Amino acid sequence: MEQVVANGLYLGAQYALIALGLTLIFALMNVLNFAHGQMYVLGGFVTYVIYGQLRLPFVVALFASAITLAVLGGLIERFLFRTVIKRSVREEGTMLLAAGIAYFLDAVILLLFGEKQRGVPKIVNGVLRAGDIIMPYDRIVVGGLAVFFIVVFILMMQYTKTGRAMRALAQDRIAAQLMGVPVEFYSFLGFALGAMLAGLVGGLLVTITGVNSGIGGPISLKAFLMVMIGGAGVVGGAIAGGFILGMLESVGLTVLHAYGDITYLVIFAALLIFLAIRPNGLMGKPWG
Amino acid sequence: MTPILQVKGLTKQFGGLVAVNDVSFDVQPNEILSVIGPNGAGKSTIFKLISSFLRPTRGEVLFKGERISGLAPHVVARKGVVRTFQETTIFKGLTARDSVIAAHHLRSRAGLIGYYFETGLARRDEEAFGRSSDEILDFLGLGEVKNEIASNLPHGYLRALGIAIGLAASPQVLLLDEPFAGMNHKETRHAVELVRAVRRRGVTVLLVEHDMAAVMKISDRVVVINFGSKIAEGTPAHIQKNDRVIEAYLGVEDESIGL
Amino acid sequence: MFRPLRLAGLAVFLLAVFLAVPLAIKAAGRTDFYYTLSSVALLAIASSGVWLMFYIGRINIGQGAFALMGGYVSAILVTSAGVSFWLSLPLAGLFCTAVSILVGLPILRLRGVYFAMVTLVLTEVARLLALALPITNGAKGITSIPAPGAIGAFGLTLVPAFDTFAERNIAFYYLSTIMMTLCFAALYRLVHSRIGRIFVAMQQNEELASSMGINVPAMRIIAYAISSFLGGVAGAIFIAIAQSIYPSSFTVNDSINFMLNCFVGGLGYVFGPMLGTLVLYFGWDLLFAIGQYQLLIYSGVMVLLMLVLPNGLLSIRFHSWRWSWHKT
Repeated sequence: MEQVVANGLYLGAQYALIALGLTLIFALMNVLNFAHGQMYVLGGFVTYVIYGQLRLPFVVALFASAITLAVLGGLIERFLFRTVIKRSVREEGTMLLAAGIAYFLDAVILLLFGEKQRGVPKIVNGVLRAGDIIMPYDRIVVGGLAVFFIVVFILMMQYTKTGRAMRALAQDRIAAQLMGVPVEFYSFLGFALGAMLAGLVGGLLVTITGVNSGIGGPISLKAFLMVMIGGAGVVGGAIAGGFILGMLESVGLTVLHAYGDITYLVIFAALLIFLAIRPNGLMGKPWG
Repeated sequence: MTPILQVKGLTKQFGGLVAVNDVSFDVQPNEILSVIGPNGAGKSTIFKLISSFLRPTRGEVLFKGERISGLAPHVVARKGVVRTFQETTIFKGLTARDSVIAAHHLRSRAGLIGYYFETGLARRDEEAFGRSSDEILDFLGLGEVKNEIASNLPHGYLRALGIAIGLAASPQVLLLDEPFAGMNHKETRHAVELVRAVRRRGVTVLLVEHDMAAVMKISDRVVVINFGSKIAEGTPAHIQKNDRVIEAYLGVEDESIGL
Repeated sequence: MFRPLRLAGLAVFLLAVFLAVPLAIKAAGRTDFYYTLSSVALLAIASSGVWLMFYIGRINIGQGAFALMGGYVSAILVTSAGVSFWLSLPLAGLFCTAVSILVGLPILRLRGVYFAMVTLVLTEVARLLALALPITNGAKGITSIPAPGAIGAFGLTLVPAFDTFAERNIAFYYLSTIMMTLCFAALYRLVHSRIGRIFVAMQQNEELASSMGINVPAMRIIAYAISSFLGGVAGAIFIAIAQSIYPSSFTVNDSINFMLNCFVGGLGYVFGPMLGTLVLYFGWDLLFAIGQYQLLIYSGVMVLLMLVLPNGLLSIRFHSWRWSWHKT
């Protein structure tokens, strides 16, 4: 039982970080980043190259993953999204762009890294045994780092000028503009930050579960699930969604294991019913 | 005379916030009644409750003795209580005339299958709608711009278009949402005439507004709301002298500094 | 309704599809194109359902679920119940319609990304159900589905059995393109009728539409029912061509592709999904020759297309005057 909870928490922390990036982008730009999973994968591969292949310290690799994705995210926003948002008659136009970018990143990743599953050496060896719980140390470190980053993110959003500007932008774009907030700059920053978070989790998780080019899509789907549960565009919602999904997966895999692969079926069914009652998720901001 | 619209004990709570608190008043047939109050008083919430775009937490709204609160908004419109929207909510790509024709939906006699196959009945409907739209647009002074794309129209015309769309739905009660907002003197005079013209067609008008001057000129009676509660009700003359109303709009007289 | 220019356009299109293309294929010897074009036609039908949802203002990334559902219903009816393929087609469509009404009731009031994400989930749910339910035979799927039989009436054969054709693919080509033509003709009529105007009103402003007395929830369900019917029928015919169906026959990727087909063609135009499917599917097929760079070029061009023509290919026609009421 406690094992299930422990696993759920560790998973939840990772998922929350992914969901945060996605929800940030949505909050600032009303864009559903289809390519979020691919950004995660890219982050994983960067860490694989720097830590796994070049044998540089893990921290350096993680930093590199973050920076690479931040730069990539910034470029994508500045040169792709900004153009399309300006010229598109329908709001949904950005979805096509995001999907195209997702496919493009998939293609790039496939060409650069091939189809094979890649892994890296453990960052910490050994296993913690506390009562009934068995938890490898590296999972604890990774989980702890994830929580650390979440806390840093929340503090940044609450207390820094950048964070306040982004929150203002998310709440009311026009009002923020009228108050002199450079909305284009903060959209740019927000997208870069969202991408960076995805890359960060990729770098963290490659040390546990490895990475391969095919998991981008499923990760995106999971991210969408979390945002649906917790509510889009709200930090609290992303965190809640992440932890809830982590818990559900952990519980489902243990409890429903006997019945085969129906964990996700149950999660989906429950989600559909949940959304029928609470359409905007737990805390979401309504669309449109 | 039985009131055409009755608001009874209307209350709306959003979580912990009570936006509308036990508001009651009646609207007589063919009168022009205004609901006024300072910004944030709860007027627009009342408006949405009456037109059934929101469900009341407590209380009810009756139209000709029949409960309409809690019914779906399109059903309420069908019964004869039609609301307008502020100018930004129109159909962006349609011309003024097409917008008003579309709004005749409630008068159609052909069913969906008839629309699809364009039966004779459907075509006769369309012709009737066209004629009715022209009449309504001319009536409201929009005759010249009827073939302009709605989003190109200047501000004042858009207000009138909103009323035209409302009239197309054959209302018995027309709910106007801040019809004088942001208007200058001349535009306000014109809008006042439009509202009077609407009443002459036999429609009862309930309007929600912030602009005192226009309201005083046009209303038969006024209901004043502040902090979600009704603080006064009566003729414009009566309201203007009401201390609580003055206090709500201007704040308490500050005797300590001799004002 | 029967304006001469439009009839001429229709005639040209029909001639091209039913006469010119088969002749060209025969001349070029590329009989594999029959399969490609049949796929284009069927995928275009499914995409047109998605397009209709865009028309009422919903982002539907769940059409794959209904294609899968329709395919399975047809396959099960034909293999287990001995029902004729031709009868199974409308039954598959109606099954999907029934499901869509049930599912649509709670989810259609969601908007924007919420609705999109829920429909994405639906596609996965369909796949997982197909894996889990006994009637669908799980991961093994349903194979050896017989070719469509003949349709006869009054002792005459109206449509010969498909396995009597020298090239099965030719038969399916005609079937698919006839269905596509019917589908788009019906949709064209729909959007130019008053119902179309009601849909536009809903897409632009649901509250305003309600205040005009339009029963918005009911109309949404009608649109979703039509959309799902189209998805189901397209899926059923697709499966008949493949003669087998598996839970992975239609995936999330397909749902996304249906949506992309609409975007590339142009959301504002009825024929958008047809053109979009043609360009994307054919483009992908043609790029096969480039080998490992196929996905890269394909997605690269897609992104470029989005930058240059964010409102779809068909917006080129109206480029000049659309700018006047462009969203600023």
